[in-house]
Amino acid sequence: MLLELNHIYKWVQSGGQKIFLLKDINLKVEEGEFISIMGPSGSGKSTLLNIIGMLDVFNEGEYNFLEDSVHNLKEKHRSNLYKQYIGFVFQAYHLLDELTVYENLEMPLLYKKYSSSERKALVADMLDKFNIVGKQNLFPSQLSGGQQQLVGIARALISNPKLILADEPTGNLNSKQGEEIMEIFKELNKEGVTIIQVTHSEKNAAYASRTINLLDGRQV
Amino acid sequence: MFKNHIKIAWRSLKNEKLFTTIKVGGFAVGIAACLLITLFIKDELGYDQHYKNKDVIYRVVLEGKFNGEVMKSVHFQLPFADALVSDFPEIKKAAKVNASELFGAGKRGLKIAGESQNKLEDGFIFANQDLIDVLEIDIVQGNSGTALSATENLVISKSKADIFFPNGDALGKNIILDNNTYKPYTISAVMADRPPNTHLKFDFLLPIEDTNMSWTNQNYFTYILVDEKTNIKELEKKMFSIMENYVIPAQKERGRAPDFLEVLKTIEYKLQPVEDIYLKSDLKMGDGLQHGDIRFVWLFGAISGFILILACINFINLSTAKSANRAKEVGLRKTIGAYKSNLVSQFLTESVLFSVISFALGVLLAWVLLPSFNAIALKNVSMPWQSIWFIPIIVLFAVIVGLLAGLYPAFYLSGFRPIAVLKGNLSIGSKSGKLRSGLVIFQFATSVVLIIGTLIIYKQMNFILTKELGYNKEQIVVLEGASILGNKTESFKNQLVQLPSVKKATVSSYLPIEGTKRNGNTFRKSTAGNEEKGIAAQIWRVDYDYISTLGMQVNNGRDFSEDYASDAINSIIINEKMATELGYKNPIGKQISNGENWTIVGVVSDFHFKSLKEDITPLALVVGKDTGIISLKLSGTTVNEALTEIGAVWDKNVPNQAFDYTFLDQKFAQMHQDVKRMGKIFNSFALFAIMVACLGLFALSAFMVEQRQKEISIRLVLGAPFKSIYKLITLDFLKLVFIAMLIATPIGWYLMSNWLQDFAYKINLSWEIFVGAGCIALSVAVVTISYQAIGAALLKPLKSLRAE
Repeated sequence: MLLELNHIYKWVQSGGQKIFLLKDINLKVEEGEFISIMGPSGSGKSTLLNIIGMLDVFNEGEYNFLEDSVHNLKEKHRSNLYKQYIGFVFQAYHLLDELTVYENLEMPLLYKKYSSSERKALVADMLDKFNIVGKQNLFPSQLSGGQQQLVGIARALISNPKLILADEPTGNLNSKQGEEIMEIFKELNKEGVTIIQVTHSEKNAAYASRTINLLDGRQV
Repeated sequence: MFKNHIKIAWRSLKNEKLFTTIKVGGFAVGIAACLLITLFIKDELGYDQHYKNKDVIYRVVLEGKFNGEVMKSVHFQLPFADALVSDFPEIKKAAKVNASELFGAGKRGLKIAGESQNKLEDGFIFANQDLIDVLEIDIVQGNSGTALSATENLVISKSKADIFFPNGDALGKNIILDNNTYKPYTISAVMADRPPNTHLKFDFLLPIEDTNMSWTNQNYFTYILVDEKTNIKELEKKMFSIMENYVIPAQKERGRAPDFLEVLKTIEYKLQPVEDIYLKSDLKMGDGLQHGDIRFVWLFGAISGFILILACINFINLSTAKSANRAKEVGLRKTIGAYKSNLVSQFLTESVLFSVISFALGVLLAWVLLPSFNAIALKNVSMPWQSIWFIPIIVLFAVIVGLLAGLYPAFYLSGFRPIAVLKGNLSIGSKSGKLRSGLVIFQFATSVVLIIGTLIIYKQMNFILTKELGYNKEQIVVLEGASILGNKTESFKNQLVQLPSVKKATVSSYLPIEGTKRNGNTFRKSTAGNEEKGIAAQIWRVDYDYISTLGMQVNNGRDFSEDYASDAINSIIINEKMATELGYKNPIGKQISNGENWTIVGVVSDFHFKSLKEDITPLALVVGKDTGIISLKLSGTTVNEALTEIGAVWDKNVPNQAFDYTFLDQKFAQMHQDVKRMGKIFNSFALFAIMVACLGLFALSAFMVEQRQKEISIRLVLGAPFKSIYKLITLDFLKLVFIAMLIATPIGWYLMSNWLQDFAYKINLSWEIFVGAGCIALSVAVVTISYQAIGAALLKPLKSLRAE
């Protein structure tokens, strides 16, 4: 088992009242799964994804990730954990504007202290895999949205994470580009990468093996 | 990793050109200012630091109270130095120096014996042999032990020797001064040039010829070299025995009144360390040397510190102002695996890089500005490139300042929680609003103080230059070195007056300008006994045309005239001040004496003959021959023509000395050069400070606009007109600038009224100056803020709202 959420609650205090963002979420994810999280705006999709990605904290419940009890970990250990095992793909791509495609891909490896030759090899693999060798020296602003998202995914994959979390990865793309991205996710999943995505679109959700529906913070 | 940091820093620097220019440029300006001021201070503090024995070299100063007023002097009797050495074993050497023009120091016409061409040279002083040891004069040719031991000796500086004797054979050559062939000098030694930053500058040393060993004439600076173990305070006390054993008996013998002798008993001898002479001397000492002012050294030091601090703060502010942009980057880096330490080191690297670039530019800027700065500050400082410490210190400073400036943004930015910034709902820096407001106030208060200083110095300078002086300094040509004419002086003068361009001419070495001849004496009413206290007054020897040429007013009695035979013998004209001090309502016909008896024939209106820092003191004019300087009043014709005509007459009469002239008004302005210099230095520093403050304001308004972008966008969407947005941004800051003005005004008032205290004649500190300074600061602030405010008001609301 990759991760497990038990009775997760998250709320914010507003004027003496608790407003629940997530209520009693229970979720088990096995390695190699492809999961879609769906629901209307404000239903808590992104919050759930952020909690899974350990970017956000919850108020109550248990979260186990690869046998580690995330709820008992200190912030620092938590961030070590996600840095090691999780790759993120964002709706707005979030590439570093000052860096070229090549350098954007290289960045996570730098933080993980890979040697120069290892970095070169891994980046070359990724460029090759996503067929963007010709774009390696371009800056993000010189790429189309779909191409930027490709780079975003490549960057998320480069340090070989166990889990990819994607928050509306196709939200800023047109339908054709969106389809391409989803195809890539499908391919990756076939290769064994676990993927959890948040999406609005039924069509994209259908790529996944399992769908979790949220409404007002509850699983339905 | 490091390379990557540099790369990112470099690219973000290139991407935001305007912002980078302001950030780096502003910092560089601050650094350049700070560096220039530091060089200036270093030079000022470096005066007289070159003596190996500087801790045991002192100048003797006399302090006492005379008629309730503190009196200081550095002039002593000729035998004073000798008595010091013989009476106090701890005083190893005592040097006497006479730098007074009255005795022939200063400018002299010089020629090599056997040659015909005279050259007017400055920098002559008289000294005894001990000076060579006390002030460590480095004799490079000749015998240092006997350089000044004979009356015909002359010591010349290396650079002058090289001019007159390019072959290096100066030693033993005969020199004629002022065409006096009866008394030739022989070059006994060549000395190394005196360092530029020493209080006593000279190129020619002459032995003291004065033999008047009287204990009542005071004309010599006295420098002493004491034993290392000497207790200076005790020595100062012991030195009073000189007063008791020599001075008082001598004055008694002259028949001075007992109350005068009482005054002498209150006098103390003080020892002034040689390194303090330049910066810590009192105007009252009246040594006629060029001085700096330790108060200004401190003030400038404080200003330079301020400017550097402000520049650093601005640098930090500008770094954090753009943090909204960087926040996303931080969040993103964190999610892809960056640790806080990675980010901290990234931002520090960036900050150090900026700092190093700024320092490099700053040093470059300072180097470029140095010549103009030297011209303003009348200095000759250079960038100490060769000093081994200079580059390392600059680099070290750059790194330290870079780290300091980077610490706050580094920790502040790297502390962002990734989810918060990636979602874009982070409000940045709102907590430190008060701190930022404080910074604006601080920066503008500093600038306003400097502007006030500049305005007041400027006004005072203007006041001095246009003040009614009691004589007319316009259109007067001054010919120095005229003593070379000898007995041809009178005919030369007559030839000049014949010229249509010359209205009047007068021959006298005494001019109402400091640096020309002076002669102080004590006068009493002739009816009074010798024991009466008497008054100190100048007595100047002038000719019959002096008063009319220089445009002074005789308001009682008459001017000198050749019609009265007695004028050449015992007539005297006194100034109003002297008449008051003598207690005469109608002084005409009264007899006064300074040893000789004089009859007062006229009273001249008080005219300024010293710097306006000092009051007008008693002065008397008598007819006499003192032919060092000829002054000419031009008639209205063009000056150039007049000079050509005068030059032609000069060449005819004095073929062997080049025609040399100055203008009286220029000499007057030169007398107040220190004020002018201070004004210019203040001016440039104020400019620097304002620039830095404006950058600060720019940074802060940029920051605020960035912070309030959402608010402004919403206001715009809701239909806020341009004007209201502009006001929204501007007013907030103007309030701060206004508070700064309120704080700065009393400080500026206090500092500048203190400064004005140096002047006997000064402007009033009127409210217009302070309002003016405020307006300048305010308008500069408005312009600076407007850039951002207009930008904000023209914002496209969709852009910033969509990003939310």
